[in-house]
Amino acid sequence: MVKLRTRIFVIAAALLFLLFFSNDFGLIDIQKTAIVAAIGIDAGSEEGKLNVTAQIAVPDASGAGKAGNVTAENTRTVSEAMAQINRKTGWYPTLVHCRLVMLGEATAERDVFEFLNYFLRSEFVEDSCLIAVCKGTAQELFSSQSPIGELTAIAVSKVLSSEAEKTGLVCVTNLRDFAKGYFSPAASGYLPLVALRKEAESGGQGGTAQGTAAREQGAPAVLAADILPAAASDPAAQSGGDNAADVFDASQTMLFYRGKRAAVLDAGETLAFNLTETSTDFAYGEVTIEQDGAPVTYSLKIRIRKKKVSLDFQDGKPVLTFRVRANAQIADDSRADGIVDIAKTAFVPEPVLRAAEEALRVRLDAVLETTRESGCDLFGVRQKLHRRHPRYEREYAETVLRDCAIAYDIAFDTLQ
Amino acid sequence: MDNIKLRQICFYFACMMPAAKLLIYPATLAYDTKNDLLLAAGLNFAAQVLVLGAVLWLSARTDRTFFALLEGAFGRLCARIVYCLCAAFFLFSALFPMLEQRVFVTQVLYENVPSVLVYTPFFAVSFFACLQGLRTLGRAADVAMPLFAVSFVALILLAAPHADFGALLPVGRTGAGIFRGALFGVHRFADCLYPLFFLGHFRREKKTAGKVLAAFAAGALAVLVFLAVFYGIFEDIAVLRQNSIAHISKYTTSFTSLGRIDFLFIFALTVVQIFCLCVPVQLCVHCLRTALPRVHPLFFAAAANGALLTAVLLLNDTFLEVQQLFTQKLWAVFLVFAYLLPLAALPLCAAKKNKKREDGDG
Amino acid sequence: MFAAKLHKLGDVKETSKQRFGSELQANLHAVKEVLAAEDVLVHEFFAGDGTRCAAVYADGITDKAALGELVILPLTRRHAPADARQVCACLCFPETRLAPDAETAAGEVLAGNPALFVDGVDGAVICGTKLVAARAVTEPQTSVTVKGPREGFVEDIKTNMGLIRKRIKTPSLRFEVLEAGRQSHTAVCIAYIEGIADKTVIQSVRGRIAAIDIDNVPDSSYISKFLMPRPHSLFKQVGTTEKPDILCAKIAEGRVAVLSDGSPIALTLPYMLEEDFQSSQDYFVSPYRATVSRLLRLFAVLLSVFLPAFYVAAQLFKLRLLPFALLLTISGGIQGIPLSPGLEMFFLLIVLEILIEASVRMPKYVALALSVIGALVLGDTAVKAGLVSSPAIIIVALSGISAYTVPDLAGTVSVVRIVYILVAGSLGPYGILLLTALLLYYLIGSDGYGVPLLAPFAPLIRRDLRDALYKANIRDLDKRPAVLGSRNQTRLRTRKNKENAHG
Repeated sequence: MVKLRTRIFVIAAALLFLLFFSNDFGLIDIQKTAIVAAIGIDAGSEEGKLNVTAQIAVPDASGAGKAGNVTAENTRTVSEAMAQINRKTGWYPTLVHCRLVMLGEATAERDVFEFLNYFLRSEFVEDSCLIAVCKGTAQELFSSQSPIGELTAIAVSKVLSSEAEKTGLVCVTNLRDFAKGYFSPAASGYLPLVALRKEAESGGQGGTAQGTAAREQGAPAVLAADILPAAASDPAAQSGGDNAADVFDASQTMLFYRGKRAAVLDAGETLAFNLTETSTDFAYGEVTIEQDGAPVTYSLKIRIRKKKVSLDFQDGKPVLTFRVRANAQIADDSRADGIVDIAKTAFVPEPVLRAAEEALRVRLDAVLETTRESGCDLFGVRQKLHRRHPRYEREYAETVLRDCAIAYDIAFDTLQ
Repeated sequence: MDNIKLRQICFYFACMMPAAKLLIYPATLAYDTKNDLLLAAGLNFAAQVLVLGAVLWLSARTDRTFFALLEGAFGRLCARIVYCLCAAFFLFSALFPMLEQRVFVTQVLYENVPSVLVYTPFFAVSFFACLQGLRTLGRAADVAMPLFAVSFVALILLAAPHADFGALLPVGRTGAGIFRGALFGVHRFADCLYPLFFLGHFRREKKTAGKVLAAFAAGALAVLVFLAVFYGIFEDIAVLRQNSIAHISKYTTSFTSLGRIDFLFIFALTVVQIFCLCVPVQLCVHCLRTALPRVHPLFFAAAANGALLTAVLLLNDTFLEVQQLFTQKLWAVFLVFAYLLPLAALPLCAAKKNKKREDGDG
Repeated sequence: MFAAKLHKLGDVKETSKQRFGSELQANLHAVKEVLAAEDVLVHEFFAGDGTRCAAVYADGITDKAALGELVILPLTRRHAPADARQVCACLCFPETRLAPDAETAAGEVLAGNPALFVDGVDGAVICGTKLVAARAVTEPQTSVTVKGPREGFVEDIKTNMGLIRKRIKTPSLRFEVLEAGRQSHTAVCIAYIEGIADKTVIQSVRGRIAAIDIDNVPDSSYISKFLMPRPHSLFKQVGTTEKPDILCAKIAEGRVAVLSDGSPIALTLPYMLEEDFQSSQDYFVSPYRATVSRLLRLFAVLLSVFLPAFYVAAQLFKLRLLPFALLLTISGGIQGIPLSPGLEMFFLLIVLEILIEASVRMPKYVALALSVIGALVLGDTAVKAGLVSSPAIIIVALSGISAYTVPDLAGTVSVVRIVYILVAGSLGPYGILLLTALLLYYLIGSDGYGVPLLAPFAPLIRRDLRDALYKANIRDLDKRPAVLGSRNQTRLRTRKNKENAHG
């Protein structure tokens, strides 16, 4: 028995050593792998085909990553593009660290799940990766220069971070959420619309990329997202010299219905949507009111205490109710205040609060109008109907978005 | 060597039983039952509780093993035949979870599809476990308990904030799908048969039935919580998310500087799953050893694991067909062995008493 | 030459027991027949009344001064005694015993105790004037403590027994002295507290020691191999300690200790793996600090085993295990390394083992040079030359250091670590998990003297966890470890215990 055990042990050890030193399971180890940090998908020059750009993190000896963009042109599928990239570079592209899937603007004209399915099928791509659509092409966006010299994918990921979403500046979506919306009965979803802005356009003005974007869209000052953390948004402060750095603006949101572009929300509408529906709990907004015969703009710091969008039936008719409770505080205003007024910065005058509530209502009206026109069920009304009011589902399944009445219960408060 | 403690049986039901149900089961259940997956799983658990209750009732009335009961009632030959049939059933029931874990291993633990050979060393572990007897099975449950408790709670805590439990509404609208889901899931609920083979191998304590049922309830609750969180996270795309345990927690950890630390917990649960997968094979060998005591257990362990290894290698590319076979066709086999056999064993106790009375009269 | 001399010294002829008579020359002849060694000397002298006497002793291991002053001198000043008992009574030395035959006397002489013969007296009187060339009781280098006793065992078994007796002053403390080694006749002592230690364990230990049929027992580690329930196991199955305070604590818990003459390492049985995670210092600091230390040790051992393996598996099979930033760092670090990740780690671990092996054995004056070679040449220069990567060196260094947080397990850890590397490099993460499951199955199936190796975790014994995974306050450790099966479970008499006892 002991002899048998010894023999088994020796054979097992020999086998293990053989496996270890031959090291051949068709493995693709770290030295043969291209670490893809982001994938960009654009419409190809040929009808129905794709240009797929992989942003590969190329580490140097110090461990810092540099971007290397490789594009596979006019492929029928993303998978084919990956194979082409493999052929072109000789490195196997691994998507396990792919943090971002960027869709070119033109791809949104077709059902984006024609190519996003690839990422859902694969066990090696995490559906927690961010997904966004960009103005122009993803290839252009990836070849831009981040102001702090990091990978473009990382710079864009920071713009789309959950922290940014919490302040209401962008609508952040990951692949899972977008797919959930697409495969739900409402077949709706949204993606942040990323625009590339050259430093020269915004750098010397002291404003911020997203503020500039908001103004460019012609958004009124009321509740426009106008403030960004300075460290991330002021390229002039960070990248001096001759390097032409770029900044990214994701204040707009593209709505999708059945996988295709349906509409675009501007910065103010994006903020309004975030304040009522997403995980935003803290935001800045501006309100302009008439005081002493002159317009005064107040910049408000808003903290959401409670929010709920509910669908109820009153007399058999659907009513969509927006309930928001928030605290506001003055961050700044456009007049020269006295010392006492500055000391009372936590107290917001009643007219300013009411104006802010009204501004939110106006913005939400605009958002709802957009969703009704586009068919994109941004607030998940159909889902609410299915979950909470199944007995009305058959009657209102197709029309609830259009037929539901809107009710607002919005109250901003200040320190007493 | 062949004794197991009541506490270890409790740990098995609370911590090892749920671990085997966290791979593909949630996704397949979501396919059949959509948001009513909790009801389907609940039905299976309720049926198991009945069977488990029956076995515990039996255990309260006899200190003998199931083999001894069969032998007393029908003779040694019959007992041997039943035990051999049960061994075959255990071997058979072990196959699909192994294939399931093979899929999980190749898809989650590797990034480029590895050879099936990567999975084969599992059978060396299983072979070793089979040689150790019920005592090791029990102690494995002792080890599995903290591993499972910590890892499961950590994963749920990481995942739960991302779940929308409203997705489970409206309840009961799937109708027949619920029963279909329950029926097609029967093959994953064969654990209730195990205590029948622990009879006579554990010492009863105060409130034995209560403790085992409470542990079973805890395990069932863990599965139901997992299913709720899973469906709350993935909703309509739940069917896409096989290997669910590897997916639910990534939304918290994907963008942290530490990376996927949840893999630590997933690995720990994989170890628990390895223990869990060995249990039916261990019981198969236990049955064969009991039925045929003259044969060296090494032979049974080698034969059982060799058979399973061959099956896994042969069925390497036919997972979906095997899945359909187990879920849609062979549920009756599982009903007979896992549910009807323990119920059919109840009269054995009475038979024994009658026989005693007859002996006394005589 | 030295070996030949040793051989001569131990060259006790295998003869049948030849009883001594009363004639001096015949007795001396009998002894010399058994002990032909040249270093066994005979000193002949006369008692006060002119009776011939002789002392047979082994040169070099007998305290000749004591022999002269306490044994010979008293005899030369008085009449020769009539029998052996009177001889013992007239000596100024308390440790005397009778040897009825030449073989017994020869054994004692070779142990350093001279045999005294008086013409006309039957048998020989053995005087315990052994020359003890023991080193001083110092702190053992293998278990240094900041707080707590600093005494350590020495090579002399009697000193070691004295160190134990000094701490446990109960008559229930039993020392059973046995002998092992056909040639070495090494004294082996079993120590335990009667009424606390499990009788079956004592019997089993006694039986196993008695059954040892080996020629030479130079150290207790020889004995431990015969006491192991699974002699081929990679894992320790016998506890070891060099500190009397630890040994006494273990004896008091109900374990059996085995001391071997010539070895400063005492063995304890039954053994559980968790013992190695305990340190004597844990009992002298606050329980919170001790608990943190124990968890740290556990974490360090796990880190030591798993970190290199997962590092290799991550690079070869699962890049997602590494955070993005770390992946870039590693990826940058390994550029141009000629070895695959698995081979690189294997090579570095072998280098680490070589360094450890060399540093243990080399003369101290070479230590500085070796440190320089190890740290600079093998580390820094190898990285600069592109032979190995910096992250790999960091991982190996961390793993190597972590293993020594539990010194008693360091040897096992280093072997297991290499196996893990091989498995990680060939089978990847699942291989690591399977090996873990296999080791766990092995450990939970290992029992020694009725005590599971992995107790109190598997099987779970809740009460014993109080001094295993965490260290409870001494006031809460009122019972002895249940797993040891002691008949007397009460360690601390609390009011509740007393009430129960009286009630």
